[in-house]
Amino acid sequence: MLIVEDLQKRFRLAKKGLFSKKPKTAVVSDPRHQPPWFHAVRGVSFQAQPGTIVGLLGPNGAGKTTLMRMLSTALTPTAGTASFAGIDIVQNPLEVRRKLGFLSGTTGLYGRLTPREMITYYGRLHGVDNQAITTRIAEMSRNLEMDSFLDRQSDTLSAGMKQKVSIARTLIHDPEIVIFDEPTTGLDVSAAQTVLDFIGECCQRGKTVVFSTHHMHEVKRLCDSVVLIHEGARRFIGTVDDMLEQTACEHLDQAFLKLVHTQGNPDHAA
Amino acid sequence: MLHNILTVFAKELREVLRDRKTLIFMCVLPVALIPLLASVSVKFVTEANEKARTETLEYAVYHQERMPELLHGFDDVTGFARVDGIAQTEIAAAIEDERIDFALVIPEPPEVGAAHIELHYNTASQTSKIDDRVEEIVDAYAKKVQTDALTQLGLTTAEAREGILTPVVVDTHSTADMREVIGEAAGGLLPYLFIIFCFLGCLYPAIDLAAGEKERGTLETLLLAPVPRVQLVIGKFLVVFVAGVTAAVLAIVGMGAWLLSEGQELRGALGEVVNSVSTLDLVLIGAMLIPTAAIFAAMLLSISIYAKSFKEAQSYTAPLNMIVILPVALAMMPGVELDGTWAMVPLTNTSLAIKELIKGTMDYTLLVLILASTTILAGLLLGFCTWWFRREDVLFRN
Repeated sequence: MLIVEDLQKRFRLAKKGLFSKKPKTAVVSDPRHQPPWFHAVRGVSFQAQPGTIVGLLGPNGAGKTTLMRMLSTALTPTAGTASFAGIDIVQNPLEVRRKLGFLSGTTGLYGRLTPREMITYYGRLHGVDNQAITTRIAEMSRNLEMDSFLDRQSDTLSAGMKQKVSIARTLIHDPEIVIFDEPTTGLDVSAAQTVLDFIGECCQRGKTVVFSTHHMHEVKRLCDSVVLIHEGARRFIGTVDDMLEQTACEHLDQAFLKLVHTQGNPDHAA
Repeated sequence: MLHNILTVFAKELREVLRDRKTLIFMCVLPVALIPLLASVSVKFVTEANEKARTETLEYAVYHQERMPELLHGFDDVTGFARVDGIAQTEIAAAIEDERIDFALVIPEPPEVGAAHIELHYNTASQTSKIDDRVEEIVDAYAKKVQTDALTQLGLTTAEAREGILTPVVVDTHSTADMREVIGEAAGGLLPYLFIIFCFLGCLYPAIDLAAGEKERGTLETLLLAPVPRVQLVIGKFLVVFVAGVTAAVLAIVGMGAWLLSEGQELRGALGEVVNSVSTLDLVLIGAMLIPTAAIFAAMLLSISIYAKSFKEAQSYTAPLNMIVILPVALAMMPGVELDGTWAMVPLTNTSLAIKELIKGTMDYTLLVLILASTTILAGLLLGFCTWWFRREDVLFRN
């Protein structure tokens, strides 16, 4: 189980240097902008059970990626806690990483390596033995239909093929929690379908899934619960049905916009 | 720990070896360029000197009736052709237009004192031998005039005339052998080339392994592997370091191959110097470049990990070229000699040590000091690099 409690992250704003450019437009009023700090995530809390999918929603720049980077231990929280299966992400990040898979739409591949070499590399870094790596690659290659390009240089692969390789790379150590940061960005319908099927499969296999997206039809199809973030703070938490009900909207897009544009305290609409 | 470092090292090395640009800078250029540069420069210098020594020089002479015998000197040897019909007022223009190579204006012989012959020629040409060739003939003429005058004074033997003209002579006995003399004059260039190749060998892998990884979007997933970041950095550092050492060693191998193939054929003092550089000297030069490669690897990796993209990393490393070139070029300056102080100056010390090894005058105590100081600096820079690599504001600058 993933437990996130009052997670916060602030960054020091860049100092104005001799050569720094003057902003062309005035800085829009943003509660996160408190010089010398920028509070990217302001006290977000939620929980995710094994075998469920939590959708992380929010407009661009809301703080979703920063939040997911903290959960994946790439960034250290400024305050608050998060733990997975009782393991604290700050106290024991290496242990969390052993149980964690991370996939985003912008994740690249090593162009000069073949998918097999790249997946093997990540398997070894996760401490999986060679025999298990070989078996898992064969299994995933069959499931994701990767046989035809498994030994081709990654530079030559299409976007869809690359995302399949990324999925295999994410799964090579059989993680218990998987975080997806806009994983269908830039993919065609077929490739996006493969990714969405994979997310659903993760859930069926009892994994804890955190899933960030801008596509409401994906939320409706996959998510058991939703956490909506705006300006670094939580604006809503609940199920998809709760979201529609509380905003009195018919469609998720409308509900999303209504929640985002609602002024006031965090969780006002929840 | 070692397993993780080796895993990162093996993967990064495999990628680097598949990159054509890196292979060119790491392997092809050092092996090919040094022998090529050496061969071409030796060929050009030899040919230019030979041409300057033997080409026919066209000249004009004014008031030749004042020293007719001097002109016979020019007529008696080959390689000079007299040109008439150029007015004395247009000497400079004629030389500039290359109608003549030089002009002689002969003065009225004075009653007392020396006659000052004017020699007009273009002194800008570095390979010109005009003054040497003209002075050779003028000196022979002056010697004859001198001998005639002294003979008339009763000094009939050469010894007697010599005793009057140069009663005291300093005989110089140089303690420097030819290797030292030529090594001092030309030995600064080789360390410059070796060090620059070492730097270039590190450059592309460093940019590719850090900034390139950021740009491709693979860094974040790598950071999420259950491997301490220090181990990731060391794995990457080792690849950049190996690339730098390989480039430097291949530059030395290229030099060695050239010495073996051409050294025997080089004539005179240069050939003597070339043949006196031993295998041990080349090995020690290689040893000097190992900590230097570590310094470059740590520096470049630190810069590269700060950059957001390959292009940004290239723009940061461009000024670094100058920072590297300056201390290395310092070793070529007159008066900069290897001592305890210079042994502590990074890069200049390596450059000076390589120069001393080529000259054959290395003080091995200083060699140890240089190796120690350079290794300590490399260690400190690697420490900085690992600390830098752990900083969030460096890894996630955007």
